[in-house]
Amino acid sequence: MSALEMIRLAMSRLRTSRLRTFLTMLGVIIGVASVVALVGVGQGATSGITARLQGLGTNLLTVSPGSTTSGFTRSAAGSATTLTQEDAAAIAKVQGVAAVEPEVSTQAFLVAGDGNTTTTILGTTSAYPLVRAYDIADGSFFNQASVDHALRVVVLGATTASDLGISTNAPGRTITINGIPFQVVGVLATKGTSGPFSQDDQAIIPITTHRDYFSSGDKVRSIGVSVADASGIELAKASIAATLEQRHGVTSTNQDFTIADQAQLLSTFSSVGATLALLLGGIASISLLVGGIGIMNIMLVSVRERTREIGIRKAIGARGRDILAQFLIEALVISLIGGAIGIVVGLLVSVLISSVAGWSVAFSPLTILAAVVFSLAVGVVFGVLPARQAARLDPIVALRYE
Amino acid sequence: MTAIPRPATVGEGTASPPLIEIRGVTRVYDTGRVEVPALRGVDLDVRQGEFVAIVGHSGSGKTTLMNIIGCLDRPTDGTYRIAGQDIADCDDDGLARLRSRTIGFVFQNCNLLPRTSALENVATPLLHQGVARKQRLERARAPLERLGLGDRLDHEPSELSGGQQQRVAIARALVTEPSLILADEPTGNLDTASGEEVIAILHELNAEGRTIVLITHEADVAAHAGRQVHVRDGRIVE
Repeated sequence: MSALEMIRLAMSRLRTSRLRTFLTMLGVIIGVASVVALVGVGQGATSGITARLQGLGTNLLTVSPGSTTSGFTRSAAGSATTLTQEDAAAIAKVQGVAAVEPEVSTQAFLVAGDGNTTTTILGTTSAYPLVRAYDIADGSFFNQASVDHALRVVVLGATTASDLGISTNAPGRTITINGIPFQVVGVLATKGTSGPFSQDDQAIIPITTHRDYFSSGDKVRSIGVSVADASGIELAKASIAATLEQRHGVTSTNQDFTIADQAQLLSTFSSVGATLALLLGGIASISLLVGGIGIMNIMLVSVRERTREIGIRKAIGARGRDILAQFLIEALVISLIGGAIGIVVGLLVSVLISSVAGWSVAFSPLTILAAVVFSLAVGVVFGVLPARQAARLDPIVALRYE
Repeated sequence: MTAIPRPATVGEGTASPPLIEIRGVTRVYDTGRVEVPALRGVDLDVRQGEFVAIVGHSGSGKTTLMNIIGCLDRPTDGTYRIAGQDIADCDDDGLARLRSRTIGFVFQNCNLLPRTSALENVATPLLHQGVARKQRLERARAPLERLGLGDRLDHEPSELSGGQQQRVAIARALVTEPSLILADEPTGNLDTASGEEVIAILHELNAEGRTIVLITHEADVAAHAGRQVHVRDGRIVE
């Protein structure tokens, strides 16, 4: 009996009890669909974060204030305000450093004609687009003279500009930030990231202007450092650390700042993302397992119901292995068709999630392949027991079974 | 496609070995607590072309004897040869092969596959022989037409009368061209007219040279056979 004949026989059997076949299949469909969708979301989140980090700038080091210890209470990292603009100036003189941009930030309310939005107001220097790898879509970034004279000029992120309704012809227009008029000089090109903490949603003004209107003092939130050569990153990191330790009067054991580089961040987030995808896939696998048990359950009932048929087939010449193959192929057909439908449903659900939640979803052929192999395995593992039971039936007993 | 040659009709008194050769066969059922002997030493020969009725009351051992003749069961002791093949030399697959190629079963309650057309039912033994679908359906058509069911090919068993169902079952037994037709109470569940019809068909098949073994408890059915073998308490008594 050829495999094709077996499949034909299985299909015609499954067609005779459509509802039962469909319900059995549903377990596999839900299982495979959730594996495909959740792993897709997990991988999408990982690749989205990775892309965002890569968009942050090349050869970038970020110097942030460390944590402070006041009495016996240690505060969160970044809570200290130990970095100053003088630190930034000192870092700029370290060998191997190409450019430095200190940053201060606040939230503020922007109005442009009928449009308004609330976003981050970032105060920095003219080195910002170089260090953070931004292109200018329209107009230009403010120059050093604007910083020196604390001019009220602003460069808008792509999202901010469209939120304000001034995506076109923005340069030259006047907007207000917390009621203070600023002239738009340029709009940044989008980095293509979306969702919270988008790099496209911000308004950038000279750091000196920021101090005049939105903050005070000499402290900075962070310092972005562009290293001239990627191979010199470790050396530059060490030199910057030494410079800051000397300036702050601390040692490497009680540093009041941290220096993060992109590679480090990337690998951290990648491993977090991989763990996330694994976790989601693991949870989804449980439903696939339940689906498999559903197959086994139905197959066992089916063997019981068809005992007489098995007896007849054996009496007219079917071998044990023919019966085994017949039931096994039925289980396989259920799990494979269920798996195929599950993949389609999973992809649809992923697309739905990505369009509703605004997350990116990644489909890898590997996930699809794994889902197919997995559902096949479910069919074999949970089909074998009922099929063996059927194959071992004594034809005399089976023929007399009512 | 492997065609099974039609068994040659063997005249009486020839020296060729019998189709069925049973020697000292016993069958003991082990129920766990006690051993129940169903057959207590049976010798029986059936030559090719014979029409033999095995007659006995329920509990006589005739069903056990039929199971052994039909290669559904093995003797506890003694030897059984069918078409020269000692079944002690056969594994379970070997027995399945004998059932597939050498024996055609006709059961008391037809035992047709439910929700399956008459044509597919008759073609099923060929499926298990590995015959391709097209040839299968072609070969299944001939015995059905011969038994007057040419217009019932697509009917499922539930759409057929008892007599028609039993004719489908006979067609299924014939389709593999077996050496032996083994009929277990083939008229048991039929009305008188249908029962006579079935007996007439068996006669006709025997006249063509087929070997037929009929198991029954009814004396008037057994009377149609060329030879009667009576079973009582696990032994052949005459």
